[in-house]
Parts: sequence; structure tokens; C-alpha cells
Amino acid sequence: MKHRTVILALAWTLTQGSAWGEMSHNHVSEAACETVELRCAAKVTPAFGQDGTLWLAWMAGGQVSVASSKDGGQTLSTPVQITQGTLNLDWGPDARPKIGLDRKGDIAVAFSTFRDKAFNGEVFYSRSSDGGKTFTAPRPITDNTESQRFEALGFDPDGTLFAAWLDKRNRVPIQQAGKKYEGAALFFATSKDEGAGYLPAEMAVDHTCECCRLGLAFDPSGRPVVAFRNIFEGGVRDHAIVTFNDRGAPGEVHRVSEDDWQVSACPHQGPGLSIGPDGTYHVVWYTNGRVRKGLFYAQSRDGGKAFSQPMPIGQLSKSPSRPYVTSGPHATAIVWKEFDGEKTSVNLITSADDGKSWSQPRVIATTSNSSDHPLLVSNGTQTYLSWMTKADGYRLQSIEGEP
Amino acid sequence: MKHMTFAAMLLLVGLPAAPASEPTKLRPFERGSWQQLLHSHAGHPTLVHFWGVTCAPCKVELPQFGEFMKRNPSVDVVTIDADLVPNSEVAALSMLKGAGLSSAENWMFSDGFAERLRYEVDPAWQGDIPRTILISRSGDIATIEGSAEPSVLQKWSDGQAITAK
Repeated sequence: MKHRTVILALAWTLTQGSAWGEMSHNHVSEAACETVELRCAAKVTPAFGQDGTLWLAWMAGGQVSVASSKDGGQTLSTPVQITQGTLNLDWGPDARPKIGLDRKGDIAVAFSTFRDKAFNGEVFYSRSSDGGKTFTAPRPITDNTESQRFEALGFDPDGTLFAAWLDKRNRVPIQQAGKKYEGAALFFATSKDEGAGYLPAEMAVDHTCECCRLGLAFDPSGRPVVAFRNIFEGGVRDHAIVTFNDRGAPGEVHRVSEDDWQVSACPHQGPGLSIGPDGTYHVVWYTNGRVRKGLFYAQSRDGGKAFSQPMPIGQLSKSPSRPYVTSGPHATAIVWKEFDGEKTSVNLITSADDGKSWSQPRVIATTSNSSDHPLLVSNGTQTYLSWMTKADGYRLQSIEGEP
Repeated sequence: MKHMTFAAMLLLVGLPAAPASEPTKLRPFERGSWQQLLHSHAGHPTLVHFWGVTCAPCKVELPQFGEFMKRNPSVDVVTIDADLVPNSEVAALSMLKGAGLSSAENWMFSDGFAERLRYEVDPAWQGDIPRTILISRSGDIATIEGSAEPSVLQKWSDGQAITAK
């Protein structure tokens, strides 16, 4: 396995050229600098360990790195670079490295690369079982070589690692038959053995949208739930949700909302999902459908079968985007970006009654240049905004006390 | 005569005529470029197509715009590479060439703060491509989200020719 990784890395070096270099050359970067440090990152993903340590995985200088902080992001441990050599990381707007920790402090990291010039993707993962001191060489998450992107991962309470991603392997037989394959498929795999190997990848849903991030959460009994942009009849790219059963098999697919966004384009904007301790599903998403346009929130109190009437979020005149929801210890919180032509703001609403009623929106952060998606992360006692910006660097900011 | 007038107008508004040789660079689309573009095409029916190398429906659709340009010489055809997965200019130029669009007015997003560029074009646009904007002689703007039907584009162009008479 290790041998294969080395060969893969070598093959990239020989064939991929320097797509990262080309990109930097031709575009004014989204990032503040071109090296691998956190301050140069365009995308930063946070996770808290059980002991309260903050872990960050980021993409900078064409590499994925990980570091931790015991003081809320003020000082960082020496970063560990997960990737090496020349590689072509997926730098699309909904791509980002993923990081998850189990109760013992074992860490899983995943990320996507473009494997060829046709932008077919490959998902890799890496594990650390020594508290983040060392990570295994990244391994492909599946042995299929068609295309994978938009991975999501997390540990259930038993320490089983669950990963889901969008996979295009099903297009092969369809295209061989001379037909058009629509979208991608939602695939998943689980690992109970500290990531030494994945169980064979399985399909949960075929013909999903191929270009949007997934929302992943676990219900109170530890079952994975995935929210995703689906392709419904007639090319309608509305959101759907699937809850896995106790045996790890995907359940029925339910529609989150009838927005009727029929579009033959890539929205590059996937949903956010969080599940409260009482089992309420909270979903946020973007649509430009015939029925409604903008950002919306809905909840389900029956395990993702039926969803509430969508609630609009944000001011349509300010191009609201990138919604994210989390059920924290004190409240359910939603953040999103708005843009007034000059400044991007992160806006917050909170609910103390599991989404029945919400606070007035309030701006909690701003920046005057490009920025990552605003993310929320909770350590069990507090919820924080995690936001990477080009102009102001990385910030971790408590949202508690924000009305 | 009509052709002469068109050429004269091009000179008047300071638009460079289509280069005879193949272009090796795309115009950088930066802050203010959209207003500049609107200004330079004022009074002309103009089709602005936003696309990207990594956008699958764009790949299918792009040659249709090459065809449209050939059939509708009185419409200014502008392409803007607004790929959400920014990549190399070489790939974009090669696709434009393949689609018969080398002689169109071709731009590429050139600002890491793409939100600001999009906002200048349309505050409601979140970046999804393809996207086509039709600007009439009188400056009316119609936006087609996703792939555009060639028949719709032709109908619009024919309408522009009628209003010119």
C-alpha cells in the first residue's frame, strides 16, 4: 500500500505538471501568500478534540497541513504537512480539506485532488493515531479510478469512521451505451479499524448534483445522515437527505424542499446539516429556484422524513451565500456571508428552542477581500465562528453572548 | 454602408477590431471591467457569455456561441471566463479556439476576490455558470441562467435587427 502511494506521488510529479503553479501564475490568488503556512490558506477546516484542543486542517501553497491549538487558535503547534510533492488539489469553491477526531483523539483527514486535465477528482485520506504527531501517507479512499470529489467524513460515537463523497463511476456503462449520464452518485464507506482499510465503497443515491459540498451529521443514536443537492426529475437541482440505518445501509431519500431549481449549471454551493441532541435535523441551503430564491433553513422532527416550510435567511440584495448551521450546547446557530459591493460580512442568527424561533440577524465579522466559507465549530461548552480571510487571516471567535 | 457605419462606430468608441491573428491572451476582467465593457458596447446589441473550462454544460454549449457569432455579425459577442475553479489561460484559449470564438472579445476573471467581480455584474449572481447576458441596442439587459437555447438567442438577435431598421 505504501509502495503504491509512492508510485502515485511520482506519477503526479511526472504527469500533472504544476497546475497549482499555472493557477497562481494566471490568477490573482484568493490567498494572501503562496507558501504552506496557515496565513496563506484559502480554506481552513476546524474540529475540536474531546480534550478541548482545536485542530485545523488547511490548504495553502498547494499542500494540506494540520496543526492544533490549546488556546483557541492564538498559538499553533508546529504544523504537520499531510501532502508532499506536486499535486493538484481541488480548489473549487465547495472543496476543502476535512478533519475529524474520535474520542481517543485519533484523527482522520481527507481531501480531493484533480487527477487529470479533465478535472476528474480523487479523494485521499490520512490518519494519525499518535495525537497528530505523524500522519499516514495519503491513500485513495476507493480503488475506483473514475472520479470522486466533495468528500465528507466523521466518527460516530463508537469510533467508526464514516466517509461519503460524490462519485462518477456510474457514468462508464451509461456512456459506453452512448447515453448521457447525469450528475454523480453519493457513495460511502466505513472503517472500524482505525482506517487501516475501508470497507468496499457502496452507493447510496445515484444522479446527485456533482459539484456541491455534502452536509454530514450523526443523529443521537450515531447514525450518519447526509444532506446533498440532488437531481430530481427534469434536471431540478433541489436538496435531499438520506439517513443511514443501524446496519449502515442508506435509508429512503427524502426531499428537503421543493424549490424547483431546474438548471443545467453547477451551483457550486452545497447544503449545511446539523442534528440537535433531541434529534431535530437542521438544514440550510442556497437555491435559485422558481419557487424561491436565496438562502433557506428548514427543520425535521421526524428523522428527516418531513421538513418545515423553508425560512428565508439574509438580505437578497446582499447576495447571501455559504450558509452553515450547528446545534451548539446553548443554541442552534446559523452563519452566512453577505456582500455589499465592498465588504463581506458574516451574519449570525441563533435559536434557543431548536429552531422554532430565531434571533434577529447580526453582523459578527467583516472583511474587505476574499474569504473562505464561515464555519461553526463547538467544543461542547461553546460555539465558535471559524473563518479564514485573505486580508485578516484566520479567526476563531466565540459566538456565545451574541444575542 | 452598414458595415462602414459599424466600423466607424467601433473606431468612435475606441473598441479594437477583431485581431487577424490568433490571440494568445485573454483580457483580464478586473474591478471596473464590467462598466468599461458596457460602456464600450453601448448602442450595440451585445451577447456576453460567462463560462468556464471546468464547467461541463459550458463545454457542450460553447460551440453554439461560435455558430451564433458567425451567423450574427451585427451582434458583439463577448465571452468571460468566470470559472469557479480558476485554471490556466492556455486551456481557456484552446477551448475558445475549438468553439470558433477566437475572434470574439474574450476576457477572464483576474481577481482573487471573485465575489466583487460578480457583484458588479449582478448582485444576485452567486457564480453559477454558464450564464448569458443579452444587452439590447437600448441597453436593456436580459439574463439567461444555465445553458441558453440557440433558438432563443437567434430570436433575440432577429429582434435587434428589426429594431435597428
